[in-house]
Amino acid sequence: MTLQARYEDVPLDTKERLFDEVRADIRFKDYLFGCYECGICVAACPSARFYDFSPRKIAQAAARQDLPMFYEQLNDDIWNCSQCFSCLRCPRGNNPGGLITIMREVAINNGLTSARQALEGYGRVVYKIMSTGTQVSPDMLQPNAFPDWGPHVQEISENLELWRRALPPDTMHTTSTAWYVDDKTLTELYLIWHMTGVMDMIKEVDAGLHMILTDVMEELLEEAGYSAD
Amino acid sequence: MPIPLTVLDDRRQARDDRGAMTPPTEDIREKVFELEARGEWIVQRVPDPWLPVTTKYGRTKKIPIEKSWHHKSCGQCGHIPGYSTSIFWLHRKLGLDYNDPKDQTSCTAWNYYASATSNVGAQAAVAMRNFGAAYESGYFPQIHCGTSYGHYKEVREQLVEHADLRDEVRRICDKLGKPFVMPEEIVHYSEWVYAMRDEFARRKVLDLSSIDVTVHPACHYHKLVVEDAIYDPDVYGGQRTAVVSAVVTALGANVKDYSTWFDCCGFGFRHILVQRDFTRSFATLRKIEVMREEANPDVVLTHDTGCVTTLDQSQFAARAHDRKVGVPVMSEAQFSALAMGAHPYRVAQLHWHNTEYRPLLEKMGIDWRERWREFEDDLERLKKGEAEFMTWEDADA
Amino acid sequence: MPETVLVIGGGPAGLETARAVADIGARAILVERRAILGGTPDEADYAALTPHMGSAQDALDVLRAGVARPEVEVRLETTVTACRGTVGDFTLTLAGPGGEEEVGVGAIVVATGFSHFDPGRETQMYGYYEHADVITLPDAEKMLKEHRFVRPSTGEPPRNVAFIQCVGSRDRRLGNEYCSKVCCGVASKEAIEIGRLLPDAKVYIFYIDMRMYGYWENQIYWPAQEEYNVNYIRGIVTEIVAKDGRLLMKGEDTTMGRPLEVLMDVIVLSVGMEPSRGTREIAGVLGIEPNKYGFIHTPGEPMDPVSTSVPGIFVAGAAAGPKDLEDTIGMAGSAAVRAVRSIRGVTPTGAGAAS
Repeated sequence: MTLQARYEDVPLDTKERLFDEVRADIRFKDYLFGCYECGICVAACPSARFYDFSPRKIAQAAARQDLPMFYEQLNDDIWNCSQCFSCLRCPRGNNPGGLITIMREVAINNGLTSARQALEGYGRVVYKIMSTGTQVSPDMLQPNAFPDWGPHVQEISENLELWRRALPPDTMHTTSTAWYVDDKTLTELYLIWHMTGVMDMIKEVDAGLHMILTDVMEELLEEAGYSAD
Repeated sequence: MPIPLTVLDDRRQARDDRGAMTPPTEDIREKVFELEARGEWIVQRVPDPWLPVTTKYGRTKKIPIEKSWHHKSCGQCGHIPGYSTSIFWLHRKLGLDYNDPKDQTSCTAWNYYASATSNVGAQAAVAMRNFGAAYESGYFPQIHCGTSYGHYKEVREQLVEHADLRDEVRRICDKLGKPFVMPEEIVHYSEWVYAMRDEFARRKVLDLSSIDVTVHPACHYHKLVVEDAIYDPDVYGGQRTAVVSAVVTALGANVKDYSTWFDCCGFGFRHILVQRDFTRSFATLRKIEVMREEANPDVVLTHDTGCVTTLDQSQFAARAHDRKVGVPVMSEAQFSALAMGAHPYRVAQLHWHNTEYRPLLEKMGIDWRERWREFEDDLERLKKGEAEFMTWEDADA
Repeated sequence: MPETVLVIGGGPAGLETARAVADIGARAILVERRAILGGTPDEADYAALTPHMGSAQDALDVLRAGVARPEVEVRLETTVTACRGTVGDFTLTLAGPGGEEEVGVGAIVVATGFSHFDPGRETQMYGYYEHADVITLPDAEKMLKEHRFVRPSTGEPPRNVAFIQCVGSRDRRLGNEYCSKVCCGVASKEAIEIGRLLPDAKVYIFYIDMRMYGYWENQIYWPAQEEYNVNYIRGIVTEIVAKDGRLLMKGEDTTMGRPLEVLMDVIVLSVGMEPSRGTREIAGVLGIEPNKYGFIHTPGEPMDPVSTSVPGIFVAGAAAGPKDLEDTIGMAGSAAVRAVRSIRGVTPTGAGAAS
């Protein structure tokens, strides 16, 4: 029962279904024991100092199965977590950061607007990691992507191609990926995304991105003799 | 009243008299071997020769000296290439055989902690695919990024704990034609640097006795799976993770303390990309300003990609707000390489770093102007097409 | 030939057991590894006892006087190194200043007690081995016994003092999943003593739950708040670091629901109980089962808190787990009676029979 009246219009059985999805994750039992509200997690948490965010309340809502509070957190709080896992100092062995990881997956799998909003502007990063097998690449160092890093980024982007050739390790003479990734390796990665349901997840979050990724991956998969499962 | 300087020594002595206590947690490596005995997977053994280090509850961890399969870091190779270059250079300087693979994907954990656009099965499959690739090469994985390392420790726990997950991932590896392998130890490169620190100290060519250093320990190195991280009884009495601090001391520089030592840098995974006010605020207010105020260091050293990025890049915007910032940031790998005479541009690649590092180089006794001229000559040669790439021979010329 | 009971350990539990054995007409051999009787309250220089504030040394003197009689044979600087036999007929090897010797007894009472938790093993970052002004409850007792309380780093009295509860207890990561029972009372008692010595100092206690059993509520907790203005703040501390020559603690004020950081002059860690080295070793020597924490297992609980897994061997005091003094004295009497009875071969009837 919550005193604030947020998301009152969302039916309780929707909230219950989402909570059950979180609880059904194989890691849930590893991440939540009892909570005696000692506050160590909040004391250690960087996000607790900048946002109205409390890993203790995340654990408490989950332990109490407080559906309205859980649903609020699912929409308003989980994207404030910095996933640093300082909260693993919990003496009961709880993992509030881990609970949040599970909650985020559930939010995305269910196409929550708040999840889509949190990942606005992030699509290019998902594209990079899923299609090239490296998370960031040299050519992402553009002033418009990191304006608050200063004119130094401009200098880098102007000299990028030359400076990348001036690196001794031979796997790093790349600009569109962090290092050279073999085509065979990429094929294996694409298969992993397909076989574990990640491609379906992407469809929920960003249909346009999903289309582009499917195109990019199909080519390589077909060459290797696989059909996208 | 005189200050009793023996208080801490007396306590440490009393502690030693108590004797060792049993570690409170189970040793997951025992379970890893049990699963091998049951035919569930292959355990890749740590190759000889290896060095022993101690972890949090006094257990021994094996760190192989050579034959490393370098599990590279996206952020390092992508944005701070001097970091990875320095790690390779350290191996080469000691004449150690290693493998720098193209059959390696990102651990994908940065994306996972940022956006959760993945799931436990995919993350475990990516990890095991990489371990399988290492095994096939005959070299033993050495993980460059702190998040990859912490994440793989988590994956190991999840795979040991859940048979269903193991079965799912084994099926995937079979389909990919990759062997299903778990390494005997999950080794972070900074653990290797720590194990080898006396070798580096022996080959030092600079006098670092006037260099004050603040150390930032990466959250994912020591907070994920807390029992598997290096704690040295000679460093902070084994109360804090010792990995980088011990290296700084071995190289003859001075470790200075500050009151936000245990704080996260504020990287946030997603925050540094799309919610950067949090990252730069945290990095500035909780780390850099405090370090400057309390320790006034010449350089901040850390052992993780995200931490170097955050602490180095966040200072520019803060200067516009007249915050007390302006401390150069780099990895202990780059610092160790410089200490042994590595070129600041060809090897440490400091031109990719944001915060002003040239006064530091001067203080270390490095003529950066001459070095930069040499590097500009290298760039000219590359531009003219006299060479396509810089080589390792060029780097040490 | 009167029944003989071997009592291992010369602290409050052992002293009371030996006296009780003598009182009911049997003989006791009391074995103590130190050169002086009194156990942990003596070794750790306890000042006043919780909750009545009586002097610990006075209480120990009474117990010591209780065994100064012909029916009790006291063996100092002695330990038990081997054991064989069964109830009624045990043979033990004692190692002492005169060398090794075998003795025959009918029953054994283990009273080997506890150790204070070593804060260096704590999950949280308290820096006990880095900061002189971070001290433990026993460190504070030592000072209070000398009627002073100062910052170890300067020798000056502190302006503020914080206690942190549950250090080394109630922690799944450490494996000490129990509450050490007395630390809340002891911390509050010390807070009162500090309040008496330093009326201008501000004293804080950071806690998860305040364990104030029975009469302690009104004997200790209420006076601490009402007469001495001790500030009880709900929320445990996770880190202690040095700042500006003082100690900075980081915790959460859970009542207000926000992180707190505050500078303190002295921080006292309320360390819990763990089995002593003696307790851990004696279990193996005697062949009695320890529980998963290393304390002596008492399978007959709750109606029989003193029998071990072996007939004829009993336990009294903190060797069995966290106990306060009243528990200890109570167990000692019960252990003495059952030990003697087990020798006399009388099978106890009723619940909790430890045959």
